[in-house]
Amino acid sequence: MTEVAQPQLEETRSRFVPGQPDMWLFVLFEALLFTGYFSVYLVSRTQNQDLYLQSQADLDLRVGVFNTIVLLSSSWAIARCVRAAREGVYPAALRYAFVTVGFGVVFVISKVAEWIHEIGMGNTFTSDEFFQHYFFLTSLHCIHVLIGFIVMGVVIYQLRSPARRSQQLVETGATYWHTVDFLWVLIFAMLYVVR
Amino acid sequence: MTTSTEGTSVSDTPPESRLGRFAWNCRHHPKRELWFAWWVMVVFYQLYGVLFFFVTRVQPPPSPAWDTPMIVQWFDDRHDGLLVGFGIVFLISGMCAPMNALLAYSMRRMSVSRIFAYSYLIMYSLSAIPGMLVMAIAMTVGALRPDRDPELIHWLYDFAFLSFSGTMGVFLVGSVVWLVAILLDKNNVFPKWFAYLGLCNALTEVVVAPAWIFQRGAFAWNGAIAWWINMVVFVTYTAVFIVLLRRMIEREDFGTGPLPDLPDKRESASAGSVGVLR
Amino acid sequence: MSNTFNRRLLLVWAILTLLTLAYVWMDEAVDQNQTLTASTVVTVSAIAIALIKVRIIFREFMEVRHAPVWLCRLTDGWVVLVATCLLGSYFVGSAIAG
Repeated sequence: MTEVAQPQLEETRSRFVPGQPDMWLFVLFEALLFTGYFSVYLVSRTQNQDLYLQSQADLDLRVGVFNTIVLLSSSWAIARCVRAAREGVYPAALRYAFVTVGFGVVFVISKVAEWIHEIGMGNTFTSDEFFQHYFFLTSLHCIHVLIGFIVMGVVIYQLRSPARRSQQLVETGATYWHTVDFLWVLIFAMLYVVR
Repeated sequence: MTTSTEGTSVSDTPPESRLGRFAWNCRHHPKRELWFAWWVMVVFYQLYGVLFFFVTRVQPPPSPAWDTPMIVQWFDDRHDGLLVGFGIVFLISGMCAPMNALLAYSMRRMSVSRIFAYSYLIMYSLSAIPGMLVMAIAMTVGALRPDRDPELIHWLYDFAFLSFSGTMGVFLVGSVVWLVAILLDKNNVFPKWFAYLGLCNALTEVVVAPAWIFQRGAFAWNGAIAWWINMVVFVTYTAVFIVLLRRMIEREDFGTGPLPDLPDKRESASAGSVGVLR
Repeated sequence: MSNTFNRRLLLVWAILTLLTLAYVWMDEAVDQNQTLTASTVVTVSAIAIALIKVRIIFREFMEVRHAPVWLCRLTDGWVVLVATCLLGSYFVGSAIAG
């Protein structure tokens, strides 16, 4: 590794699309889809402000904040993983990949705990409109996280063996994982913060 | 480009006139079955759209929250449309077969196991029953005798729409089978972004599952989320795969290796119309 | 290991986390002793901050900064599109209800 060459590399490196360009289509399409769901939520929220505010009080903002920070950390970890893989430091890349999955698992456990808590308080998918949207958005997002575990599995499989390593596939997996993160950022704002 | 002329003894080159060329292609073109299946698919989807949206007017779906008199009124308004429209649906439902076969064929052309193609074929063949035919039957039964007991008509209404919307699970799994096959495929039959689009489609189909629970709101069978957004994604997905299947047929070389890319447009034009049916 | 890259990533993470914590302050400023109150200001700010975070995630974590110009424009365009849809839904909905 030439320390001097690195900063020059940063400026003169040609622009590249991270991962398969195909995955970007998914990212943007999925973002639009969720925007559709959020728009439906916002419109129906404005028709029934009081009910939504009252139900929203049953949610704990701090749990939402915790979830967000966990996913932001997982995004940081996968970004570090991609950088490490790009520089050829595969053991570190593999460690970061596992850290990403670890944060993902913490997120899922926290989510399930929150659902159990809400159901315990009597707020279920069918109890009122706000919770319809809450359970729908969070469970759809959770499905994305679970698919993310499969994607991370592919990434880890790629990183493990020198014969298989494909930087493009690792970057594609990272792109997917970041999507899961930014979708949660939006969901968190919609469900927990918006008044 | 002129491989099709090697096997013929009747004529070596297609006639000049459009009709003559068409007839020649029908008899000699090696991809004629594939093109036939593709056209059947296109015609079927056009008819499906017209029949379900404009003739029978069962789509966009009415509300599950209506009371019995409103539902009887709904059937009355659509009496002729329902009988004629679904009568035609019964006639054309067989067109699903070449369509599903073409999709399964695309999976056979891939480097993945044939299990993908066979599972897809079985799933989609069966799914036409609840996904289309049960609605057709229930609606025509409901429309046949307008003076039937209103409660029975209400029952048929629920049965039809729940069957139509609520059985998305099969389509969902079918989409997943196809998208996994595409991701694993080394023959490049479809671009990877189509697999990801299929994932979006599959996820919106998950969204329809709550239709079983709700009678009003965004998740009812006519809801903003369970129907409208889902329909936009589904139509996009369908339009895309129709175009991609066309490209696949054009690229098909009947081999087992990677599917070659389409030649440059100028080259294919000068090779004559042998490659393409008009 | 290039330390500038790593420090930048950590800084990005810290900024995103701070923006997330800003939400807590925002909501507490508006809610009146544990009762939640409707507020257009909070809603609009929540959406705006969320989209700033999304853009940061695009540019830094997803490396759009180093991507070809068309991807930069596309993701920026997307952020604007999502903002328009969300704010539009909120204001149209409010107008219908109010």
